[in-house]
Amino acid sequence: MELKLTDLTKQFKEMTAVDGVSCTMESGVYGLLGVNGAGKTTLMRMLCTLITPTSGQIAWDGRDIFSMGEEYRRILGYLPQEFGFYPDFTVEDYLLYVASIKGLRPATARKRAGFLLKQVGLLKAKDQKMKKLSGGMKRRAGIAQAMLNDPRILILDEPTAGLDPTERIRFRNLISELSEDRIVLLSTHIVSDIEYIAGEILLMKDGRIVRQGTAEQLISSMPERVWSLTVTKAEAERCMRRYKVANMKTVHDGVELRILSETPPAVGSKSMGNGKEACRPVPEPATLEDVFLHYFGERTGEDHGLV
Amino acid sequence: MVWYEVKKVFGRASGRAALVVLLGLIVFTCYFAMETIWVDENGVTQKGRVAVTQLKKAQKAWAGPLDEQTIRRVIEENLRIVSTPEYLSGDVRQNEIAYGWGQGIRPIRDLLNVSYTDDMQHYDYYLANRLDPGMAGDFYANRTRLLKEWLAEGGSGAGQFSEAEKDYLIRKYEALETPVYYDYMEGWNQALNYFSTLCMILAMILGFLTAGIFANEFQWKSDAIFFSSAYGRDRAVAAKLKAGWLIVTGIYFASSILYSLIILGWYGFDGAACPLQASRAGWKCFYNLTNGQLYVLTVLAGYLGCLFLSLLTMFVAAKSRSAVVAVMMPVLLVFLPSFVGNLDVRFVQKILSLLPDRLLQLNMAVRYFDLFTIGGKVVGAVPLLAALYAALTFLLFPAVYADYRRKEIL
Ligand SMILES: Nc1ncnc2c1ncn2[C@@H]1O[C@H](COP(=O)(O)OP(=O)(O)O)[C@@H](O)[C@H]1O
Ligand SMILES: [Mg+2]
Repeated sequence: MELKLTDLTKQFKEMTAVDGVSCTMESGVYGLLGVNGAGKTTLMRMLCTLITPTSGQIAWDGRDIFSMGEEYRRILGYLPQEFGFYPDFTVEDYLLYVASIKGLRPATARKRAGFLLKQVGLLKAKDQKMKKLSGGMKRRAGIAQAMLNDPRILILDEPTAGLDPTERIRFRNLISELSEDRIVLLSTHIVSDIEYIAGEILLMKDGRIVRQGTAEQLISSMPERVWSLTVTKAEAERCMRRYKVANMKTVHDGVELRILSETPPAVGSKSMGNGKEACRPVPEPATLEDVFLHYFGERTGEDHGLV
Repeated sequence: MVWYEVKKVFGRASGRAALVVLLGLIVFTCYFAMETIWVDENGVTQKGRVAVTQLKKAQKAWAGPLDEQTIRRVIEENLRIVSTPEYLSGDVRQNEIAYGWGQGIRPIRDLLNVSYTDDMQHYDYYLANRLDPGMAGDFYANRTRLLKEWLAEGGSGAGQFSEAEKDYLIRKYEALETPVYYDYMEGWNQALNYFSTLCMILAMILGFLTAGIFANEFQWKSDAIFFSSAYGRDRAVAAKLKAGWLIVTGIYFASSILYSLIILGWYGFDGAACPLQASRAGWKCFYNLTNGQLYVLTVLAGYLGCLFLSLLTMFVAAKSRSAVVAVMMPVLLVFLPSFVGNLDVRFVQKILSLLPDRLLQLNMAVRYFDLFTIGGKVVGAVPLLAALYAALTFLLFPAVYADYRRKEIL
């Protein structure tokens, strides 16, 4: 079980969406992390044979996936980012139809659909029309669909986008359950989605994989360190301009900042209103969030409650 | 797979609504086609079942080989009627009574008008009133003679055909077996007349229904899952084509059989074996066919036309990924010709004679003098149409398949 990408490139006119990506995936959960426009969806579409690469190769156990055709798609499960469906099909019809185009026999299809409906918690909704489902239910139907053929390769493009927090946690747990004995490639622009479930994280930026490794490896290989300090409001604004600020929080005596910097940030220790001096920068343990900020120069998609 | 594809079409409210509209339009068309009037011996107009029964009885009386003797009797009968006081009266009611007497011979009287005219393209309703029973023997000879005159130097048809084509027409005319067998044939006449209306309705509805099959995956954004599935680039595409074919075939034949049974059930199946030339509308036709044969051909040609237009719709849908663009195809191809149809330019007429709308109205197409010379052989437009669209339809299946299976999902 090996999915190998070699120098994979996709060009749209002047735009290079995926630029010379090489990596090898074996059984396990892979998190593809990158900001919007990084090229995640384009990469995944190539993995699903939906678009052909401009150059480079994708091989499954040594064989080119595009020449494998049907044989490759048989072991593939895909949940697209923009997940569409047949509005007038019931959930059950929908799964049975997808099972049929995935080449499952009707009897097997029924069994698998029943099993998956239960697993994703849609058993009660199986006779509802797809267009009547809530966003979270649609996603769950989407993942059930992807799992119908018990795929060796499961590709999930931003599966948690648009879900509310409880649904998001549920979804993460579901993906963990499903990840045994297969390759799961999961894309997101939200760090917390993959922090716990992905064994291996691929950081994607401008079409390239800029870093790859476990969360610990990525954290420890980050050249910058994380500092925490409390400053005045005016000082905070200056810091924002000079440093990558991972977080800021208003506290009773100013603003608490979380700053990424190789050396301790040099902050003028001007006296504050009550005469006390600003705190000195304190080194903090880095998180995956900080890694994301380091590589992408911007904060993750989640809202942190900025002042 | 095929079943689910069909379900995608009729699961939608618009798909089911199209079926209801179709049913409504069939009923509407039948209603018009079933309208008959009969003027009784008191000059009162009757409608409905009574009218059909009476008309049938009156015209059946003249059924049989339309030979010299019958023609003579019809001329005499007509002359008798037009010399009655009722016919000559200034009173409308009296005129109606006289008209009523003529209803039995009416179709044959119409034939007299086209046979004994001076000019093939001219029709005079009162001509039959000026005939002499002694002229009955010329009835069939007139037909060929008029054609020859029309085609000869100085005739208005002269410039339109090559010598070979003229020969072909004359030979076809001469090949008509005479005397033709005449019978009451109101059923076939009406069923044929309104069949083109039914066919156009079917072409539109079927285009509407099939347009989505190859476009909706993109519109619904279900394309990524479809094309990344095991059969997404082979069998599932074939299933879409099969579903399209099933929908067209099923609905076409269900509708046309329903329509035919209603009309023919109403008027009766009588006259199936009569040649087209046994009625005024078919007198000049150079295809030697019976009503029954033409009807079968009309139904089959309509099917070919609907299938072709639907496949073209599916092809455009696959190419453009838009059902809206695709559904324009049958509308354009069926209605555009009727707008340019009045242009009396030979070249334009030739092209028009090969457009698919002619397949939807074969009962009209057999009456046009559209000829083509291919490799020295003269053929009528009808067999050419059939061959052309059978071939195109046959090619469209793999064309749609090949286009769709190679889609990239961007
Ligand atoms: N079909 C396309 N045509 C042109 N450019 C595209 C197309 N699809 C994606 N792109 C461009 O490629 C880049 C990567 O897009 P995408 O793969 O969707 O990124 P992500 O999924 O990481 O947000 C973007 O800049 C996008 O505008
Ligand atoms: Mg994306």
